[in-house]
Amino acid sequence: MPESDAQHLTFKLVYYGPAQSGKTTNLLRLHDLLAPELKGEVMTMETKDDRTLFFDLLPLGFRAPSGLLIKFRLFTVPGQVAHDGTRKAVLSRADGVVFVADADRAQETNNGESFQSLAANCARVGLDFEHLPMVVQFNKCDLPGAVPEAEIRERWSAAPWPLVFAVALTGQGVESTFEELLRTVYRNFGQKLELLSQHGLDENAFVAGALGKTP
Amino acid sequence: MSQGFDREWRLDELLDTASHEKMGPALRELLGGDFAMTDDAGKALWGVPSPEARREPLILELEPVGYLLSHSAPPAALSAARQLMLTLLRSQIRFKMASTLHLESVAEDFESLKREHARLSESEARYKTLSAELEARVRKQVGELEERQQMLYEAEKLASVGQLAAGMAHEINNPLGFVRSNLSTFEKYVAKFAELKSHPGSAAESWQALDLDFIVEDSIDLLHDSAKGMERIARIVADLKAFSNVDRASQEYADLNNCLHEAVSMVEAQMPPGIHFRFDLLPLPSIVCLPGHINQLFFNVIRNAVLAIADSGRPGEVKISSEADDEGIHIRIHDTGVGMTKEQVDHAFEPFYTTRPVGSGVGLGLATARNVVQAHSGRISLDSQPNVGTTVSLFFPTPP
Repeated sequence: MPESDAQHLTFKLVYYGPAQSGKTTNLLRLHDLLAPELKGEVMTMETKDDRTLFFDLLPLGFRAPSGLLIKFRLFTVPGQVAHDGTRKAVLSRADGVVFVADADRAQETNNGESFQSLAANCARVGLDFEHLPMVVQFNKCDLPGAVPEAEIRERWSAAPWPLVFAVALTGQGVESTFEELLRTVYRNFGQKLELLSQHGLDENAFVAGALGKTP
Repeated sequence: MSQGFDREWRLDELLDTASHEKMGPALRELLGGDFAMTDDAGKALWGVPSPEARREPLILELEPVGYLLSHSAPPAALSAARQLMLTLLRSQIRFKMASTLHLESVAEDFESLKREHARLSESEARYKTLSAELEARVRKQVGELEERQQMLYEAEKLASVGQLAAGMAHEINNPLGFVRSNLSTFEKYVAKFAELKSHPGSAAESWQALDLDFIVEDSIDLLHDSAKGMERIARIVADLKAFSNVDRASQEYADLNNCLHEAVSMVEAQMPPGIHFRFDLLPLPSIVCLPGHINQLFFNVIRNAVLAIADSGRPGEVKISSEADDEGIHIRIHDTGVGMTKEQVDHAFEPFYTTRPVGSGVGLGLATARNVVQAHSGRISLDSQPNVGTTVSLFFPTPP
């Protein structure tokens, strides 16, 4: 459940995925693309050769008609296999997840292993993987070795999660990925948090506030 | 709020009192004499906020975590101070988050290890139980096998009783036959003496006529023979009694040298001529044993030695020696008899193995001997050369 008090509501959203699939790039582009009422700087933790060691953090926020400040804290996990303990700690208390897969055909095994680790780690940190709001993004779709969209859609047709195809470097699909996640998050928590009844926020207003667009 | 690395850190968590005390005076100096810092709720962390002071927010993420206040500083100076403070706070929050995250992940790794360890311990315990069960089953089966072996041994022993009885019957029948014949002759002789009374003529003439000189002489021979025959029967019965262990004694302290002497005296009573004993007995510690069984054991081995010499048809010697060392008692019984072939040595300890004809032995002498030795945790071995002699070596451990 998101953290909340009388004036604040904070969603923790985690970008998960195999090493170098573009999680940090997603955050950097979102920072450029979005213009919500409140936007912090991307905090990039210690890196080594441009690889995330701990996590990155992008804070976003807007104020609901009721005056409630809704905050989003977007985290990335370190993708390298060795950092599983850190990944688990970052993943804990997440309210939503974007799984950033690498569309490159050569990365299929890494995607699969990372997805398995996401499911396993959810169980370990006490998240209900079945009902966790999640979006699956296939990044680097412009690469020549990328698996075609039709093939991926076919393969994932039985899965309940929205699929987004992206080129994070250029920003393509980054915003729509985040929007999809916001919508599932709203559908999942909106009622329980009385977003509409108490704070005057419907799904579109929620998404528009977070993205900084007029609904 | 959670205590995780991802909590929203408060200003007083990021900068402790000691840091306030260092930076406060420096900033006051730089800002022209008045400086205060408050948290997000306006509570002073350093200095006293003056009511007319200018206020600059410290924003790390979205909302201010605190404020810098000064009424003496020009706006640009206060803004510069804020930049300075933010730089400091950003590096501070990075450090705090990274170190807390590190602790969380280490704790999580440790938890994983503990889970793994618990799993391994459980599987180890399972295997231990399994191995204990297997061991118990093996022990039980070995026990059953031993029991069956013992039953077989007892059955064979019982079967041998028949054989033994046949031998004994034969042995007893012989003296019985001639004793009966002797008594019948003696009866006729007594009748002759009765004739003396009614015989005409002088006593001397009658004595002569009835040939009583011969009859008296022959009667004495008959009675001597009969007595010897009875003695033989008595000896056979005594042997039988000893063999069957009727006088089984309970455990007691005994000096094995005494046991050797007792066994020798039993053998000596029925020993053929031309055989003598030589003793080389050193003092021995007393050991806890079953003296009845030990006597039987020594008797069997010594009788074998005597018989081996008798079989060789020449005079010989049985040498009995004993000594003790740190480990236990060593006894050697050596004879200069016929000796044994390799094949005989190989089979010597098997029950019912004998080289003698029916009635002379059942082949349990050495088998019994070995049983007795093993019951005392000892060892017995044979060393023999045909026509030279045999040495039986015995060892009994003494408690350390």
